[in-house]
Amino acid sequence: MAFEPVVLFFLLGVIAGLAKSDLKIPTAVYEALSVYLLLAIGITGGVKLAESTLLPLILPGLAILLVGCLIPLICYPVLQYFGGLKRADSASLAAHYGSVSVVTFSVAVAFLAQAGLDYEGHMVVFLVLLEIPALVVGILLARAGMAGKTRWGKTLREVFFGKSIFLLIGGLIIGFAAGPDHIGPLEPLFFDLFKGLLAFFLLEMGLVAAAKIADFRYYGKFLIGFAIVMPVFSAVLGVFLGWGLGLSLGGTLLLATLYASASYIAAPAAMRIAVPEANPALSIGASLGVTFPFNIFVGVPLYFWMADLLYSMGG
Amino acid sequence: MEPDKYLLTIVSESILEDRMIDEIRELGANGYTVTDARGWGKHGKRRGKWQQDSNIQIQVVGSRELCEAICARLKDQYQADFGLLLLISPVEVKN
Repeated sequence: MAFEPVVLFFLLGVIAGLAKSDLKIPTAVYEALSVYLLLAIGITGGVKLAESTLLPLILPGLAILLVGCLIPLICYPVLQYFGGLKRADSASLAAHYGSVSVVTFSVAVAFLAQAGLDYEGHMVVFLVLLEIPALVVGILLARAGMAGKTRWGKTLREVFFGKSIFLLIGGLIIGFAAGPDHIGPLEPLFFDLFKGLLAFFLLEMGLVAAAKIADFRYYGKFLIGFAIVMPVFSAVLGVFLGWGLGLSLGGTLLLATLYASASYIAAPAAMRIAVPEANPALSIGASLGVTFPFNIFVGVPLYFWMADLLYSMGG
Repeated sequence: MEPDKYLLTIVSESILEDRMIDEIRELGANGYTVTDARGWGKHGKRRGKWQQDSNIQIQVVGSRELCEAICARLKDQYQADFGLLLLISPVEVKN
């Protein structure tokens, strides 16, 4: 089975954080790395997209988005009735788990590169599209039957012009416009250096996650269990849907990873504005402290194994 | 003697920067200064590493009425759900 060494940098960061090492990645470097990562993922997808035809993607795209809306609707009652969480907290967590994580996706992309497998370029389009519906569903769940107006304008501005969606879409368009023929000069920066810079980014993520892991003991067993079981459940949906839609094995792994991942950049910002009464520490703690490390160490190889099994059985 | 100018210091979450500044300007402030901040308090440790985890400090100099009006508005809007610290102190403006 393919092993992706880049995740070890995350572990290194976690150890440094827990051991209170003086290791720090300067904030400006972290910001620059996140800009790079978003652009690189966007451009890579855009170049692949330029090689494929778009029209046959519409129906599968709708199915993928529909399941993306379904995930928060499954999370919400589970959190509220089994977890005993407040309405706002359940809705906010549902939005986080329905939305997606770009870095988890990047780790899966690196995993596929290591395994020598290709994937469909339009998976990056779904990465962008899947960030949004779950946030809207989460806000509606929090607001249903409650007084008080929702700041839709500010929330949507935060979602669409927040740097993650903005740079992903921007990179996608640039990659698509350049196509495989003209992307040459940008290749060394955006393709060849991708893994190395992802390693730096994961080191910083490890430092940040270490702080969340330390906080998480206050949140209880239910939430920790949820943060592990829910991604696996969502990934199973993704594996079957990807297989049913006839995606490649690589594409199915990415779809499963998208469904399994939980947002910790776009969703926290949107939820803080739209559902301010939800406790942000719960959702960031669960998504960054548990689900993200679980996904990159256990999840991605597990989802690959599940997809591989289905493909070898189903042909 | 009653000082004529007061310094209002606001410490809150970075995500509120644009909204708070709109409100401060709407209430008639002549200017403001924003700095990035980090710290620890009732809402946990704010490390300042990324937006969800960072604070800002906004300072406004103006009349007592202006400072009180801004405080009242911000308390009403944000106190329930966000980290918020409001301080007013008399100052001498030297230029």
